[in-house]
Amino acid sequence: MGRLLDISQVTAGYGSITVLRNISIGVDAGECIGLFGPNGHGKTTLLQTISGLLRPAGGRISFEGTDITGARPRDIVNAGLIQSPQGNTLFGDMHVLETLELASISRRARRGRDENLRRVFDLFPQLGERRSQKAKTLSGGERQMLSIGCALMCSPRLLMLDEPTLGLSPRLKKELAGAVGNIARSGVPLVIVEQDVEFLLSLTQRLYMIEHGEVIREIDRANAPDHDSIMKLYFGEAVH
Amino acid sequence: MIDTLIATLVSGLVLGSLYAMMASGLSVIWTTLGVFNFAHGALMMIGAFVAWTVSEAAGLGLLVGIASGTLAAALLGVLIERLLVRPYYGNRNMLLITVMTTLAAMIILEKGAQMIWGARLKQLPRLVDGEISIFGATISAHEAILVVLAPLILLSIWRFTVRTNVGRSLRAVGQNQRSAALIGIDVPVAFAIAFGLSAALAGLTGALLGSIRFITPSMGAEPLVKAMIVVIFGGLGSLGATAGAAYIIGIIEALLILWLGLYWTPFVLFLMMIVVLVFRPTGIFGSSQ
Ligand SMILES: Nc1ncnc2c1ncn2[C@@H]1O[C@H](COP(=O)(O)OP(=O)(O)OP(=O)(O)O)[C@@H](O)[C@H]1O
Ligand SMILES: [Mg+2]
Repeated sequence: MGRLLDISQVTAGYGSITVLRNISIGVDAGECIGLFGPNGHGKTTLLQTISGLLRPAGGRISFEGTDITGARPRDIVNAGLIQSPQGNTLFGDMHVLETLELASISRRARRGRDENLRRVFDLFPQLGERRSQKAKTLSGGERQMLSIGCALMCSPRLLMLDEPTLGLSPRLKKELAGAVGNIARSGVPLVIVEQDVEFLLSLTQRLYMIEHGEVIREIDRANAPDHDSIMKLYFGEAVH
Repeated sequence: MIDTLIATLVSGLVLGSLYAMMASGLSVIWTTLGVFNFAHGALMMIGAFVAWTVSEAAGLGLLVGIASGTLAAALLGVLIERLLVRPYYGNRNMLLITVMTTLAAMIILEKGAQMIWGARLKQLPRLVDGEISIFGATISAHEAILVVLAPLILLSIWRFTVRTNVGRSLRAVGQNQRSAALIGIDVPVAFAIAFGLSAALAGLTGALLGSIRFITPSMGAEPLVKAMIVVIFGGLGSLGATAGAAYIIGIIEALLILWLGLYWTPFVLFLMMIVVLVFRPTGIFGSSQ
């Protein structure tokens, strides 16, 4: 049994623009990892490629030992590899409950629908209160909760969160961080993209720093650098 | 006087039912894919011809004929999506390109029908014989069936899109393709279902209309234009608005025919459409944002 998710030498981009260059990342069973790095350097592109929204030009992606390179998004969801995308606007004209129910449309998620729904409302009681409200009328924080809730409705075996606290107030950010911690403790392996390295270190075992579509540094929680050297790493090397 | 008015309103109701069934098909495709299908009227015509072939030429009976016409149109709709629309997904000019490709499909279907079935006028028998009188205005029982069937069909499509997961997934794909894919909805399948459903509606309408009007290769052109006026008038997107607009246009058309005659009616309808486009581009029922 190899790794849960194994990304090996993947190259991908948009048309003639190459964004990811021979990137290799792995997640082991029961592990949470973090991705960080300056804006526009390929973190979202990597998640889109893993989810099958972008077809890699080279390399191999496997999940639970099965090759999923170039597979259809539907089949990847069916395998339990789920993503809550960045800045998600979901389905503006659909109600919260309708959206959550729809999110369990995949074959593997259908069975656990009622239990997952209970779990989502336990995790985000606010969503329960707004169950018949249209998604477009939700606040930014509530939208983020709905997006994570949808991902949970898919019964994830691995959950990728792309900047779950983007643009939220410090208070809301803390609340969502708490919820993400809850999900991690419930045993769902996570891949979290975030700019806040300390936040990532509190939730994950390992961090990858991504710059120019490559992993330029791997950080273990056990020997994580202190705050100052992280800041230096970030701003010292990122600014051109 | 009152009698003519009632007769006019009733014939407007028949027209409205026809337009509602045609326009709701256009609306299903628009809300799911964001494209406009110009072959919609031609698919209606195919429904009528296939119904005629199965029912009259092969002698299998009208109901089997109507079912075959509906199915044939649905399959052709899926084929059009596959060959003429799908290659352009994600293209910046998709809307414009598909205007041309679906127009091409319309021409191919019309010319094809002319080659297969010839130019001689054909007509289907009626589902039931006899006439029905509503407040003194008489219509054929067949037209009465159309009037009753149209709202039932619209209601079931609406229920389908609101209650069932497949129907909801069509709405989801229309609102956010990426998010839809990420919760496991098969986006290309959703597109095919939308086209198939829409084309089935067109085919069924054609098969039912084949008993009232003559079946010709160009019989779909006029209903398509009217359905376009309806969706512009009602605002694209909501099925309820489309249905409401269909009945309003049907009744206005009947009244215009009464007052101005057949010659000037299309002119006034188009004028109305332009006025709506200028002053309320999102349609009479559309939100004004
Ligand atoms: N659809 C697209 N077409 C062309 N280029 C794109 C597209 N989406 C992203 N890019 C480019 O790919 C590069 C990487 O973008 P990506 O969204 O992966 O960055 P990111 O690391 O997630 O950034 P952020 O932290 O701001 O979310 C950027 O230069 C961006 O402009
Ligand atoms: Mg990003």
